[in-house]
Amino acid sequence: MSGLERHQTDLLILGSGGAGLLAALHAHDKDPSLEITIAVKGLLGKSGCTRMVQGGYNVALAPGDSLQRHFMDTIEGGKWLNHQELAWRLVEGAVERIVELENRWGCFFDRNPDGRLHFKAFAGQTVDRTVHKGDLTGIEIINRLAEQVWARGIKRMEEHRAIALIPSRDGQRLSGVLMLDIRTGEFRFVAAKAVLLATGGGPTMYLYHTPSGDKSCDGLAMALRAGLKLRDMEMVQFHPTGLIAGKDTRITGTIIEEGLRGAGGHILDGSGERFMHKYDPRNERATRDIVSRGMYDQMKAGRTGPNGGVFITMKHLDPAMVRKQFKGMVTRCADVGFDLVSGNVEVVPTAHYMMGGVEYALDCRTSLPGLFAAGEDTGGVHGANRLGGNGVANSTVYGGIAGEAMAAFAKSDGGIVAPDEAAIEAAVADTMRPFSRKSGDLNALRERLYKLMWDDVGIIRSEESLKRGEKALDDLAAELAETGLPQTTRAFNLTWADWLSLDSLILTSRAIAAAALRRDDSRGAHYRSDFPETGSLEKSENTVVTLEGNRIAVTTTPVAFTRVRPGQTLA
Amino acid sequence: MAEFTLPQNSKITEGKTHKAPEGTKRVTKFRIYRWDPDSGANPRLDTFEIDRDQCAPMVLDALIKIKTEIDSTLTFRRSCREGICGSCSMNIDGTNTLACLKPIDEVKGTVDIYPLPHMPVIKDLVPDLSVPYAQYTSIQPWLQTESPPPPDSERRQSPEERAKLDGLWECVLCFCCSTSCPSYWWNGDRYLGPAILLQAYRWIADSRDEATGERLDALEDPFRLYRCHTIMNCTRTCPKSLNPAKAIAEIKKLMVARR
Ligand SMILES: Cc1cc2nc3c(=O)[nH]c(=O)nc-3n(C[C@H](O)[C@H](O)[C@H](O)COP(=O)(O)OP(=O)(O)OC[C@H]3O[C@@H](n4cnc5c(N)ncnc54)[C@H](O)[C@@H]3O)c2cc1C
Ligand code: SF4
Ligand code: SF4
Ligand code: FES
Repeated sequence: MSGLERHQTDLLILGSGGAGLLAALHAHDKDPSLEITIAVKGLLGKSGCTRMVQGGYNVALAPGDSLQRHFMDTIEGGKWLNHQELAWRLVEGAVERIVELENRWGCFFDRNPDGRLHFKAFAGQTVDRTVHKGDLTGIEIINRLAEQVWARGIKRMEEHRAIALIPSRDGQRLSGVLMLDIRTGEFRFVAAKAVLLATGGGPTMYLYHTPSGDKSCDGLAMALRAGLKLRDMEMVQFHPTGLIAGKDTRITGTIIEEGLRGAGGHILDGSGERFMHKYDPRNERATRDIVSRGMYDQMKAGRTGPNGGVFITMKHLDPAMVRKQFKGMVTRCADVGFDLVSGNVEVVPTAHYMMGGVEYALDCRTSLPGLFAAGEDTGGVHGANRLGGNGVANSTVYGGIAGEAMAAFAKSDGGIVAPDEAAIEAAVADTMRPFSRKSGDLNALRERLYKLMWDDVGIIRSEESLKRGEKALDDLAAELAETGLPQTTRAFNLTWADWLSLDSLILTSRAIAAAALRRDDSRGAHYRSDFPETGSLEKSENTVVTLEGNRIAVTTTPVAFTRVRPGQTLA
Repeated sequence: MAEFTLPQNSKITEGKTHKAPEGTKRVTKFRIYRWDPDSGANPRLDTFEIDRDQCAPMVLDALIKIKTEIDSTLTFRRSCREGICGSCSMNIDGTNTLACLKPIDEVKGTVDIYPLPHMPVIKDLVPDLSVPYAQYTSIQPWLQTESPPPPDSERRQSPEERAKLDGLWECVLCFCCSTSCPSYWWNGDRYLGPAILLQAYRWIADSRDEATGERLDALEDPFRLYRCHTIMNCTRTCPKSLNPAKAIAEIKKLMVARR
């Protein structure tokens, strides 16, 4: 194509979360002569969810803890759907990585009086194993990693959006990535020996969601279009306590830490009554999925506060304890106008994390040679449910592994290969499409997406709701394709960005709905009112979604119990 | 400096006014700086009247509302929406702050919104931060050590040593402080400014770092450090309630102590 800027780099990394930054650092360590480029939709170090990590990082280093216990907690939490080798590598890798984050990259986590790391308790764990920096762990990790990247002359393409994975001319491998320079609105094709997909998934298609505004499942949509398999897509984790302040505040990110429930916080319906005892003997201390479902049930029944949510309260507890133990949370609530110490704070269950994602190997290769994947874009480690603290462990452990594997790949089989020009042209045409359509109401389309995913493909699902959801998603996709933009300027055109985000979100939503319809049992984050039973653990299967033409195809494969079978334990 | 720098004197014109519907009870006016690099036109100030009964509490909520409901061409940065990423820094009601942490109710009357002052503008409220970022790199903000770490374990640090970093590591690099500092406005090419000096001190204060001497050497310069005249704008403006002026004072103290 003419008028298209072309670039080359040895390694191209998409995303600057924990996965992207560690990949860059490890690749550089392994071979400093490589030219490494990090391309990111926002500013490097300021975008993505790793920065927003509050609770902390799971690692089996505390006295009395072991890799086996961390592994078993991960498998039990994942309801036996995890890829066991990936889960094992996670718990093993976390130990290396946390020491590396401290000693090599200069991160700094909270200490015990003896100067050693402090571990705190997190839900679903049999040992206290969560390393943290106050309750703002992510800032520390991302700031330190970003600085290390600056220190190494790693190239940055900031405010660049990855648009499409472009295969080689023979279609046998990846050639590079088509990017959109957000600041100028121009396209760039970046050819690379190896590319990392680390755009961080992010279920931002739900009415209430926590991930940062720059995440819109672009990586998953690109992967589907490039023919890759996505596994466990029905598994979307809802965090029970996301703040809500009014019709227009779907405050992303501001979630009330798990620990508050652990410390005795109560959840109340709109009239101020507790209700969790109706759902689980552990009351408010039940796991994320159960609490979310209980809350959702109350909301459906109309027992809500003024903004459609329910309440969490700590006011029956010692105010001094709440202020001391949850300092960050108290300040953050105050920042957005709530009194956590003596008031009722209105909360809703909030889409938080996608356990599903791209299928990948232990060294982060995907089925497309030249393409690697790590972090929240991938599926397998967490199975049906992610433990708090395993998310950032996942992105940093596998980011590092991917970096090393990519450096090795670039040396052995990676060369720059010519792209399939027709694929570039098609992707450019798809991206430019809204400029040639009549301006329409993107906001209304987004609201419809939010609502239909929340109502029909959300916390409680059924065949009926999922079929309705699939139909609505198809309609939305067709309408979006005919909807144009209000402005023709290409530079920093945020409505164009919205259009592209919606496009990725709708495609990924279709994958979620299809996988959810296929799974006829209830496991972890996935709950079917028409199939409320867990089903046989021995016969557990994973769903696998692909895009065939414009159709979503779903198959299942049996879980391989390579390390432990249901009923057994390693710990 | 980048091409899109506006001429210092470029005149700001009055732009469009978007009125609230008749009968809206609680109206707040937002007057927002607009500039489109492609249009060739001067910057302008657009006015948007917002129904506060239909708008969430923060200035960022209002910006998002304006973008989704009134003028989708309005351009600004944001990511986390909770004061963690430092993307949404801008000048609101005369003060640099994070739009996601600034309650609309704190502003009396019309809410004036401009990009961070004295930075080149990319579009509307989006500043070009290349210069402060380059300065950030120049202080080598990463752990530097010579002694090897204990095998398979972290370097020890006492809670007291750890406490010295409180008030420093929380910085979200929003540059609200630097762009409110008169010394930085006039000497931004050579004076590092409060955000970067706070970061420099963060490493100087870290008991694990072994390059304290070199770090102080690098700051011993009439411009890099000593342009701070303790005007305190930085500390007053910091949306995370940090105290860059104090960090600068601590560096100056260390300089004196080692003479
Ligand atoms: C509020 C919140 C709190 C959390 N707390 C915890 C916790 O306590 N413990 C825990 O373990 N996990 C937690 N998580 C989950 C954890 O943050 C994530 O699982 C993990 O950090 C994801 O890392 P990542 O590198 O895969 O993606 P991210 O860190 O999200 O990074 C994705 C990157 O990709 C970029 N990107 C996206 N699309 C494109 C595109 N098209 N082109 C170019 N770049 C693109 C983004 O800009 C960003 O830089 C939390 C998440 C949230 C939202
Ligand atoms: S105290 Fe120093 S750094 Fe802060 S505003 Fe004043 S001159 Fe600038
Ligand atoms: S010190 Fe405060 S104002 Fe300055 S960059 Fe850091 S957070 Fe922003
Ligand atoms: S959007 Fe992240 S600080 Fe405001």
